[in-house]
Amino acid sequence: MSETTPTAPVVIKLHRALYMQQAIKDAAETFADFASFSIKRDGGHYAVAMTDISTESDGDVVAEFCNFALFNTMQRKRKRL
Amino acid sequence: MSLPHIENLDAAASRMTLALDIGLYPTDVLYGAAYIFIDRAYVLLDKDEGEGRSGRYLVHLRGKTALSEDQLRALSGEFANELLSQALRRKVVKANQKIIEEIATQAISGAAGGSLPNDFLAADDDGLDFLDDPLGIAVPWEEKFKKKKDEPAGDKA
Repeated sequence: MSETTPTAPVVIKLHRALYMQQAIKDAAETFADFASFSIKRDGGHYAVAMTDISTESDGDVVAEFCNFALFNTMQRKRKRL
Repeated sequence: MSLPHIENLDAAASRMTLALDIGLYPTDVLYGAAYIFIDRAYVLLDKDEGEGRSGRYLVHLRGKTALSEDQLRALSGEFANELLSQALRRKVVKANQKIIEEIATQAISGAAGGSLPNDFLAADDDGLDFLDDPLGIAVPWEEKFKKKKDEPAGDKA
């Protein structure tokens, strides 16, 4: 597990029409070593709260997570076709 | 206007937000364009369902490396081009769906050993077993060219 510092949770809102819940969960699993995740429904969005974000990793964990969630969604939607 | 509108641009943070009309761009097209940019930028998609409007897609882009205002504007132009390209691709696929499916079906049935013409099969059947060797190809070289014991070693004059 990477080194973390206690930080205020970062909440990302991903629109339910554009992101699939399972895709977000898969991305959270991928990033489990870099942060802790909790996913909740919040109106038209999924509210993803990220805590214990790794300070050791290169790059922006939050933004990379969003890219992964988007990519997973695209893949899942393509498989459905 | 059909081009994405730059909702806001922050060159200091290398990010911008584009707004697209939902009615003009289907979700597949938006995904396709976003996919192209995923290696260069952080992409976050959102939907703005305004009251009394058809709604907009909001595309938040942030460069993975620092980008100037000009570079961000160029990125927005590239995104617009990619949206058009994806829309056209979608249209072409839709128009040729039947042909594509037929070609794929033929290719798969061919690879799966589909039926061959009967005359071709008949000509191929020469009554030989796979172990038969009428041309002597399977005979080892040593066996084929070995010298007989009483044969002279050759002329060494």
